[in-house]
Amino acid sequence: MTKTGLLPDEWLVSYASGALSEAQALVVASHVDYHEELKAKVADAEAIGGCLLEGIVPERLSEDALERTLAALAVLDDAAEALVEPVGSSVADIRMPAPLAAHLNMGLDELKWRFMGPGMRQVKLQAYENGERLWLLRARGGTEMPFHDHRGTEFTLVLTGSYRVGDKHYTPGLIELAGPEVTNHQPIIDEGEDCICLVVTDAPIKLHSLIGRMFQPFIGL
Amino acid sequence: MTAKASQYIESPQSASHGKWPVRRLTGAGANAVLGTGQHPSGGVLDIFSARKDRAASHEELVGRIANSHDRAAFAELFAYYAPRLKSYLKALGLGDEKAEDLAQEVMVTLWRKAEKFDPAKARLSTWLFRVARNRFIDHTRRQKYAEVDVDDHLTQMVASDETDAPAMQNQNAIRVKAALKVLKPAQREVIELSFFKELSHSEIATKLSLPLGTVKSRIRIAFGALRKELRDMA
Repeated sequence: MTKTGLLPDEWLVSYASGALSEAQALVVASHVDYHEELKAKVADAEAIGGCLLEGIVPERLSEDALERTLAALAVLDDAAEALVEPVGSSVADIRMPAPLAAHLNMGLDELKWRFMGPGMRQVKLQAYENGERLWLLRARGGTEMPFHDHRGTEFTLVLTGSYRVGDKHYTPGLIELAGPEVTNHQPIIDEGEDCICLVVTDAPIKLHSLIGRMFQPFIGL
Repeated sequence: MTAKASQYIESPQSASHGKWPVRRLTGAGANAVLGTGQHPSGGVLDIFSARKDRAASHEELVGRIANSHDRAAFAELFAYYAPRLKSYLKALGLGDEKAEDLAQEVMVTLWRKAEKFDPAKARLSTWLFRVARNRFIDHTRRQKYAEVDVDDHLTQMVASDETDAPAMQNQNAIRVKAALKVLKPAQREVIELSFFKELSHSEIATKLSLPLGTVKSRIRIAFGALRKELRDMA
């Protein structure tokens, strides 16, 4: 990662192209929402998508394609009065970026936080068919997370509070990307407010300690 | 490892010759799809010659839809974009019929949301690309692709001179092809596998038998080059 806590460009390109999984797209979109420079890059990557669309060899349509579409528009116009535009998320939890707020549709404090370990609580948001899990972690200030290794790729986006891993410091809006090469990973939460993170894991993480391994089946990491 | 030439993007030099769309040279109508002739619905498909003398830019046509439900404006946009949306959706893996259905849905979305389209913030092709991408993911994966509003950011690749918009747009399509040509074939390949196949980094690595790090750096370099090219133009 060139700049600590900002996703490298290849992830922004994959987001723009539609190549990310649902969970990854959510964490990447949420991360981008914090940073003007990343918004500009995503806008550019999507504009490249638009240019590729303009440059593609056109396909032949069936002869009545326009006619059928115009007929569909006529129906729409008749029903226009009844058309109710979906409203955006009404959740005004300023600790959440817009894509996450739209996804959760409730505030962080309305979620059911479950015990995960000393000083730690979690909300399992979703387990996907591809093995990915999307969850929120809430750790009290000063908590030392258990040592662990990663087997897959893990995205951790900080929403509140902050933590350190070695000499790296993660604050709200910054994302930590940890791959299988990361071993002996031990985040330490800064003193002060709770650190809440949005996390995507694509394979179970491996805890080192016996107590950690005993907890694992219950905490579902 | 050498990457083969694009099967998706017309070459600026050979757009009007039947070099690229080999996959469509079978069956009826093969001579109608090469980007040279009149489309059945009346639109001219060759972007290298047709759009220079257009009176209205695509963005202006959307404005007419928003202001007066102008069906002629819609038909003109449909003639240009629906065949391209269908082609994109087929590249992503949809069958002919489904690709056409979704292309039509995307165009209907444009009709419905024309008032919300702001040409100062994004080009129409960008807007349609996003809608098509999300609709495809919704359809095939039954997932909602998280969206982030990046259009509140102002320094984007939008045409700066309104009056010159049609020429600008035509220019842009030519430039993206030129830019793609500037990319090394190996870089171009990873961009196309990302955008036209929606492959993840590790899927691309597997497909091309490359280390993951190589795939990532190729995407970064290709993106940097395309971005520079398109920004210089805007």
